[in-house]
Amino acid sequence: MSKVSIGEFEEIVMLTVAVLYKDAYGVAIKKDLEKRSKRKVSLGSMRTALKRLEKKGLLTSEFGEITAVRGGKRKRYFKVTPYGKKVLEQVMETRRRLWDAIPEIAFDI
Amino acid sequence: MIRFFRWFCDPDLVEDLEGDMIELYEERYQLNAAKAKTLLVWEILLLFRPGIIKNFEGHKNLNNYGMIKNYLKSAWRSFMKYKTFSAINIFSLTIGMAACMVIFLFIKDERSFDAFHDKKDKIYRLCEVQSFPGTNTQNVALSMSGMGPTMTTEFPEIETYTRFWNWGSQLLELDEKKISIENVAGVDSSFFEIFNYPLILGDPSEVVDDPLDAVVSENVAIKLFNRKEVVGETFVLDGDQCIIRGVMENIPENSHLQFNIVLNIKSAALDNPNFDNQFNSNFLNTYFVLNEEADLKNMAERYPDYLSRNTGREDVNERYKLFLQPLQDVHLASMDIEHDYNNHRKFNGTYIDVFILVGIFILIIASLNFMNLTTARASNRAKEVGVRKTIGAIKGQLFNQFILESIMLSIMALIFAFVLTLIALPFLNVLIERQLTLQAIITDPQLVSIVVGISLILGILAGIYPSIYLSSFRPVVVLKGFKSYEKRSLFRSSLIIVQFSLALGMIIATLVVIQQLNFMKNKDIGFTTDHILLLDMNQQTREKYDEMKQAFLNESNILGVTGSGQRLGNNFHQWGFKVKYDTGIARVTPSNVFVDHDYLDVYGIKLLQGRTFSKEYSSDEGLSFIINESFAKELGFDDPIGQKAGHSWYPNDSLGTIIGVTEDFNFNSLHYKVNTLSMVVHTDWGFSEMSIKLNGNNIQQGVKDVERIYDQFVTDYPIDYKFLDSHFDELYKSDVQMGAVISIIAGLSIFIGCMGLFGLASISIQRRIKEVGIRKVMGASVNELVTLLSKNFTVMILVSFLIATPITYLFISGWLENFAFRIEVNPLIFLVGGMIALVIALITISFHVIKAARSNPVNSLKYE
Repeated sequence: MSKVSIGEFEEIVMLTVAVLYKDAYGVAIKKDLEKRSKRKVSLGSMRTALKRLEKKGLLTSEFGEITAVRGGKRKRYFKVTPYGKKVLEQVMETRRRLWDAIPEIAFDI
Repeated sequence: MIRFFRWFCDPDLVEDLEGDMIELYEERYQLNAAKAKTLLVWEILLLFRPGIIKNFEGHKNLNNYGMIKNYLKSAWRSFMKYKTFSAINIFSLTIGMAACMVIFLFIKDERSFDAFHDKKDKIYRLCEVQSFPGTNTQNVALSMSGMGPTMTTEFPEIETYTRFWNWGSQLLELDEKKISIENVAGVDSSFFEIFNYPLILGDPSEVVDDPLDAVVSENVAIKLFNRKEVVGETFVLDGDQCIIRGVMENIPENSHLQFNIVLNIKSAALDNPNFDNQFNSNFLNTYFVLNEEADLKNMAERYPDYLSRNTGREDVNERYKLFLQPLQDVHLASMDIEHDYNNHRKFNGTYIDVFILVGIFILIIASLNFMNLTTARASNRAKEVGVRKTIGAIKGQLFNQFILESIMLSIMALIFAFVLTLIALPFLNVLIERQLTLQAIITDPQLVSIVVGISLILGILAGIYPSIYLSSFRPVVVLKGFKSYEKRSLFRSSLIIVQFSLALGMIIATLVVIQQLNFMKNKDIGFTTDHILLLDMNQQTREKYDEMKQAFLNESNILGVTGSGQRLGNNFHQWGFKVKYDTGIARVTPSNVFVDHDYLDVYGIKLLQGRTFSKEYSSDEGLSFIINESFAKELGFDDPIGQKAGHSWYPNDSLGTIIGVTEDFNFNSLHYKVNTLSMVVHTDWGFSEMSIKLNGNNIQQGVKDVERIYDQFVTDYPIDYKFLDSHFDELYKSDVQMGAVISIIAGLSIFIGCMGLFGLASISIQRRIKEVGIRKVMGASVNELVTLLSKNFTVMILVSFLIATPITYLFISGWLENFAFRIEVNPLIFLVGGMIALVIALITISFHVIKAARSNPVNSLKYE
């Protein structure tokens, strides 16, 4: 069982990165996340999650070109790695199997 | 802020995160500039979290963070591995520090007395040394009304003066209302310029300038008028209309003068133009402000000349010597001053020194404990030292490591000490009747840094020896198998001896103090103090004295009622007294009190000779005197009864008679010898206090009866009474509180000492466990083994006993000098103290000793 496990927040972050595809950098991820999940996300918590995921090998990142708007600072674009994709699929698979296993009457309380 | 972010942020993340933040900031800036800024700061603070903060170990080879981290880690590990020891170590330091903190708070509180006056260094109180014939020489805080003004004109060193004349409780009339206010005083116009009692309303330089000007405290203002802005209001005092010119804050607890209303002192001397030039009696306090050049010695040389020129008395210099007491001595250094009526919560300042000493002692004991345990535990760390040295650590590094460890422990102890003090203070405050708070330390950054500094130093000092010891191990020896590096350590034994000497000294001192306090409590002082209720008299009670007395006596729960001019428990006022000898009239000055006829009966004072006062003799009103034994001796008659005597103002040809001699009774506190005393009846003078003896079996009913009857007779004044025994308890408060502190500290120090002993015993017995096993196999009995193992410790306790005894004896007999009536130091006390310490110590180690002695030798021997 050397499977990498990811948390719920990490999962959402990864999915958002995947959704944004070419535009996945800090502020964009944050905004999209807040829009979709309807919750406040601080830069810090998001950035730590990104860093952690990168360390686990689920994401890669590279700097973009210099622009004038951000005080001359480059953007860092994130991308889901194939390994990351596999992990996401696994998570979804697990969920799906769990859903399938629920007998129909379980919710008819 | 951004710079702070750049500093702490992981360099990998810095660029894009900063970019993100600026982007967000710029976007928000369009909407709301101020909010954007706060949000930015908030965001940066949120970023200050693990994961974002850079790794400070990262800069390899640039600093020693890694090494220090490792030190802390290994310190923590050894701490957790030997929990008992570490707990003992820290806990004993904690107790020591907490005790010191409390002592510090106490001293700070006492030292804060009168410290809020700007001119505190220049203010002096005028005192007198009185040596009257026929009485003991005494220091007195009172002075004459003429002294303040005349000395100020005659001595260029004196800038200003103010007098303080306490008029006690006064009845204020306000329209129809009559309200009694305590602590009303007369002062001079300069009062509020000399003392900085803060005024809420009114200008300090002019609030009491004219007669009948008054300043009231906030509380009084509210009591009288239900509001604070009362300037311009008036009230009637003694038939005179007084105007309120100012309102002052309530007088703080740490002021030796306590008053609720002050009036210009002239209010009481409106028809006495001579008041400022009067030298007949001492009844008020005088305070001077001296200038910078003032030389007290030089001034003292000029007092005799001043006195003889101003008082118009030839013998004045034989009887009076003046001296100036610095304001800051008034609270803490007035124990030898009598007639000191305006000195709130007077405290014996030498006890402060005792407390400091005791605080240092307990710190020493605690740190010695620390040293001892750390050193004794050395074998546990020996392997670590060996390995570190082999890897390449040099001695200095190891030394630093252990010092760091000990500092860490002492800081931990400090934190615990704060918590402990916080918990213990409420209880202590009840015991010593103070309102000490930890705030006094915490709110003062300077003090905090001192406290932290002291614990750092303590950690270093206590750590030096163990560190040197540990870092000097030789790796070869240590790693080969450090089993018993066992030379009996003289150093460690002497540490234990010092500890126990101190603890023993304190135990013995405590025993003696308790004995003396009990002695004072139980000493037969010559009259009864039980169940006597002292009722303050006022104008109305004085007028109706006889009727009230009769009404009281009709109650079954009231056994006796009498009146007197002064309360027992102080020295009585001294008046001139004339005695007729064959050779002529002699003048002496005994203490005097005027009383009602049945005073001696109610108080149970025993007569040696003659008779007591009686209403059947008309001459007993003012012309009959009962003296005490000391006075009879002083007078020197073969038979004092029937001798002619009288007050100094009686003409020589119409003196009264001495009708009785009583046993000496301690009308003053037991700190003082019994003074010569003369008692006389003057029912027409108006007593200041009624003494009511209640039936001891039904005190509550008695008090109710007193209150009921009082209310029948008195309408204007609220009842004000006190029990005589509680009044006497107050006389010895300072001593009792010191006793309490010493006993607590003594208890704690023996406790700390024992914790150390406990730890040490466990180590040293651990080392001898094989020896015990072999002896047991050879046939030694459990008893023999216990004796063998305890022998060492017993010897140490005995040595400390020998050291502690003479030092304690010196100290304790010095303390007893404070009391004119004192116990003899009983050598038995020392033995008892020694025995207590020995027994406690043996019980402490017995746990380990018995365990070792009873253990199965197989267990201890099978590993060889």
